[in-house]
Amino acid sequence: MAEILIYGAVTSAIYAMLAVGFTLIFGVARILNLAHGSFYALGAYTAYVLTTVLHLPLLPSAVLAVLFVAGFGVGLERALVRPLRGSQIAVLMITLATSLVVEQVLFLTFGSEYRNVPSLASGKLTLLGVDISAQRLVTLGVSVTALSLLWLFIQRTRLGSAILAVSQDPEAAQYMGIPSDRVFATVMGLSAGLAALAAVLAAPFLTVQPGMGLLPMVKAFAIVIVGGLGSIPGSILGALLLGYSETIVAYLISTSWTELVSLVAVLLTLILRPAGLFGKRAAF
Amino acid sequence: MTPIRRVVGSLAWLALGATAGLTLGPAAAQNPPIRIGVPTAIQLQVGRDTTDSMQMAVDEINAKGGVLGRKLELVVADETENPETGINAIKKLTADEKVDVLVGGYTSGVTLAQLPHISRAKTIYLGVGAASPSITQRVKQDYDNYKYIFRVNPINAAHQARALADFISGFVMAEMGLKKIAIIGENAKWVQDLVPILKKGAVDAGADVRMSEFFDTQTSDFSPLLSKVKESEAQFLVVILSHGSSDVFVKQWYDARFPVPIGGIDVKSMDADFFKRVGGKSISEITINGSIRAPISPKTIPYWDAFVKKTGRGGPVYTGPGAYDAVYVYAEAVRRAKSTDPDAVIKELEKTDYVGALGRIQFDDTHDVKAGPGLVSFGFVQWQDKGERAIVWPKEMRSGKAILPPWLKK
Repeated sequence: MAEILIYGAVTSAIYAMLAVGFTLIFGVARILNLAHGSFYALGAYTAYVLTTVLHLPLLPSAVLAVLFVAGFGVGLERALVRPLRGSQIAVLMITLATSLVVEQVLFLTFGSEYRNVPSLASGKLTLLGVDISAQRLVTLGVSVTALSLLWLFIQRTRLGSAILAVSQDPEAAQYMGIPSDRVFATVMGLSAGLAALAAVLAAPFLTVQPGMGLLPMVKAFAIVIVGGLGSIPGSILGALLLGYSETIVAYLISTSWTELVSLVAVLLTLILRPAGLFGKRAAF
Repeated sequence: MTPIRRVVGSLAWLALGATAGLTLGPAAAQNPPIRIGVPTAIQLQVGRDTTDSMQMAVDEINAKGGVLGRKLELVVADETENPETGINAIKKLTADEKVDVLVGGYTSGVTLAQLPHISRAKTIYLGVGAASPSITQRVKQDYDNYKYIFRVNPINAAHQARALADFISGFVMAEMGLKKIAIIGENAKWVQDLVPILKKGAVDAGADVRMSEFFDTQTSDFSPLLSKVKESEAQFLVVILSHGSSDVFVKQWYDARFPVPIGGIDVKSMDADFFKRVGGKSISEITINGSIRAPISPKTIPYWDAFVKKTGRGGPVYTGPGAYDAVYVYAEAVRRAKSTDPDAVIKELEKTDYVGALGRIQFDDTHDVKAGPGLVSFGFVQWQDKGERAIVWPKEMRSGKAILPPWLKK
């Protein structure tokens, strides 16, 4: 039981970081960003290059990787998404194309082999009688901190209020003099940064290879559907639900069934409550 | 036809005629090349090392004048790990490229899907990557249609299971003194073929198999599985994976300082630079390995060194030596048959007795490579300090003393 509790929390934390970023973009900019997985992959590869190729110390590398990917997110919004934002399909296509390009560039530069990102914390700890690697606990701690900070940022700061305003009614916000383009860019940067942070934290115990972005993105998508597109509390709850259900299935049934959980969750949500747990309206 | 087009058209015919006239003389002596199709997963190391090794063999043979006065030539097609793409690769190579022979393969599921298409194209196929016994079983079931199929490498999953059972009884039980075994394997065709045989072999040898479970090849979190292994009180964990995430598995095993040593068939852990790529976390892992720089035959070390020199990589993965040998096996058969006619070449391939980088290659009556001492065999290789590798089993190949994971050392 304790194992399910602890390991489920770590899985949920990683999912939450991915899903919150994904849902944030949707909630604010009303776009489905299919390049979200590439933020995750780029985060891991940047950390790999900085630590293993350039031999920089770990902590600054992690910070640089997150900043770099956040910058990439802002650039992507500026250069490719903004001109096409009028059409949902165009945005869908351009972000999908971006994710394919990123994957191919990673493949051509680094090859298909797995890469290694060193752990921020080594060794193992015993918590409630469960052996767990220190890196996983760090992941849990950092992600809870990062998500709380994001929450405070949105609730307490001026820019945060602007984000909220745009998410509630983009046109009205624009009339009030809120620069919605800048808000979109900020949100894209935040979302990319969160995905990169998840990657930097999880890469030491998960995989690093060019296609690594796809599965997390599918999971983030599933969580966001379950939680309600655009709702941050919804995606955190969705992440907990999915993270724990997967862990429970893995422990009590079999690891070979875990990948099915998210699909079943999506299916049930779409049938029973198309708007998701916290969503206001069906997104599709 | 516009006048310009007509002029261009007649010029083209003129040029064609001229080249035909020019080449007629020497062309009579210069036969067209023998084309070797390579269906493999070119984006993966297994595929890359297949093509690079085959190119080495092709260059060597061409440097000596080719076969029957004909040069060899490779045509590569990406079969990925997806059966549908695999079938398209075969169609492209046989129908469009009209290759004389196919050498390649990695995923058993893909190869099995390709078989009917290979048979319909009546093209010889030398497998160098897929291990499922079902592949060559077809030859036995329906010789006339499937006689084109041969496997040079790897030793099939049933033989691998027996080798693994022998490792468990001789090494894990007798030498390490561990009787309680857990088996985990990825949910893939070759592992489904392998595990039942392995389990039976281990039980017959007196092992106490505490658990045996499959996991999805997409699994990214092994902690639940590892925790089940721990609960089962197993003392040694046999792991069988190829398509799954070898890196994630050893990382999580190492990070948790998991109190059970691991060994088995971990295909990616066969790579020369695997240790480096996982930050040394594969320390003490043992895996079957058919591709090691060891004097398995007089050709093994020269091949290995030439590969490293040519590619600048650490060494070939398991498909490498088999792919290299397969080109020679085919070339020899063509030479003996004095033709590339499939039926004549098949007769000669069946008589193959060739010493290559893999060992001594002979085919059994299912066209599968024979396994055993003196033929093709493999060692159990362990990652040791600083990424050194030592063969720890079988005894006659042993090159170093086995170690335990650092956290289990007494």
